[in-house]
Amino acid sequence: MSLSRGMRLVVVAALAGAGVGVAVASVRSDVGKGGVAHSAPGSSRVGVVALADPPQPAFEVPAPARLQPSAFEVTWAPIRRTVTARSGPGRGFEAVGRVGARTPEGTTNLVLVLGREQTGAGSLWVRVRLPVLPNNTTGWVPRSALGGYAVVRTHLLVDLGDRRATLFHNGAAVFAAAVGIGTAAYPTPTGRFYVRNKLTRYRNPFYGPVAFGTSARSAVLTDWPAGGFVGLHGTNRPGLIPGRVSHGCIRLHNRAILRLAALMPIGTPLTIRA
Amino acid sequence: MTFRDIPDLALDELDKDGAIREALDRLPRSSRSGFLKAVGGGLATAIALGRPPAAAAALSRGDIAILNYALTLEYLQDAFYTEAERKKALSGPAAQMARVVGAVERAHVKALRDVLGRRAVARPFFDFRGVTEKAPSFIRTAVAFEDLGTAAYKGQAHKIESPQVLAAAIGIHSVEARHAAWIRYIAGSRPAADPFDQGLSQAATLRLVRNTGFVGRRPRTRAKRKKPPFTG
Repeated sequence: MSLSRGMRLVVVAALAGAGVGVAVASVRSDVGKGGVAHSAPGSSRVGVVALADPPQPAFEVPAPARLQPSAFEVTWAPIRRTVTARSGPGRGFEAVGRVGARTPEGTTNLVLVLGREQTGAGSLWVRVRLPVLPNNTTGWVPRSALGGYAVVRTHLLVDLGDRRATLFHNGAAVFAAAVGIGTAAYPTPTGRFYVRNKLTRYRNPFYGPVAFGTSARSAVLTDWPAGGFVGLHGTNRPGLIPGRVSHGCIRLHNRAILRLAALMPIGTPLTIRA
Repeated sequence: MTFRDIPDLALDELDKDGAIREALDRLPRSSRSGFLKAVGGGLATAIALGRPPAAAAALSRGDIAILNYALTLEYLQDAFYTEAERKKALSGPAAQMARVVGAVERAHVKALRDVLGRRAVARPFFDFRGVTEKAPSFIRTAVAFEDLGTAAYKGQAHKIESPQVLAAAIGIHSVEARHAAWIRYIAGSRPAADPFDQGLSQAATLRLVRNTGFVGRRPRTRAKRKKPPFTG
């Protein structure tokens, strides 16, 4: 950028005027502090005070951290209040299930978030996976019925044929173990579910040291206390694993369930395939 | 809408899992309107683990507390923009703003957490109640957050004891002010609302933050001593 001579004079004059203000302010601020004002060489009227350099910041901020998109990211949300899920995004659609804010275990009930839609009236609806029978039911609930979103990048796959559970993180297998599954009379349900709580320090060796609650429900034991939900848990009979040994729950050796507990966050999607 | 337009709510409604209160509890009395305690030291040790020499100098408990206060506000902004970007409900300038500013707020969080080390307060659980999923509500909230963040940093500047911490805080403060100008422009408002910006006290800042209702109770997903009711 080039300035004309006249413009340069104007700029110099303005800076000189500003310099007067700075010098006066600086000298005043140094009074009583032992500060020394220095006149600039060649300046007879305007003192230019030599100011200290800025201090080195106590810390520096790193480069902006771009969000790393992941195809393996799944969102879940707690249920804030009991709500009726519907077949479409609006109150006019038929009810497909009703979910409360608490699980039978006393923990916060939650749902997996599958999609969202804003209605013409401006209200926001969210499509969710539901912990209801029939298994694999999805439905729409108002956004206002849900709490804050949380994200996981894990996925648990239980292969009933192989009697094996595999945990994936960002698509890579990070854990695998043999499992016990339901008998022919009480089969482990197949489909898409999710892990919704973790129980520990209970006094029942039958379930081992850790038990995960899931959204899967036995289609046979519908009158089971608390609704017949399927759990993932340890065992006091490790010799039965792998095998068809349970009432639908997925049993792991205690060492394996402890390792899984350290790797698998709540909200992890669960796929059970035949 | 600015942060001054947010209606009033109770602290308990804001701070459902105690993270904000934890941050407050670490502030010295001189910095938090009389209802907060001073905290112990420890920053020097944390800083020594890889921080520049200037930062490793002994810093006051008050400065640690102010950094934690700043971290709490940065958590709020980080979570807000991150959720907006993840939900992909925005488009155009608002989406760009969420993406760019979110990356910066995440960097602010990282910087503060690194310098605080084990002294860093926990991240609260946020519930933005859908405002990240609609452009008008996102823009209104972003204006409020950025104005608030700018005023909050300014409100603590005179209490920062270390010139090095002050230099770092001012470095963040001016960035927050630029964010505020950007989102105000997107919202159709004047980039600078007034010719002179007032700082905001901590008490006023936290009252305004809790008024949003965006700090929710962390879901209780674990239970102890509860017999599993599963089919077995």
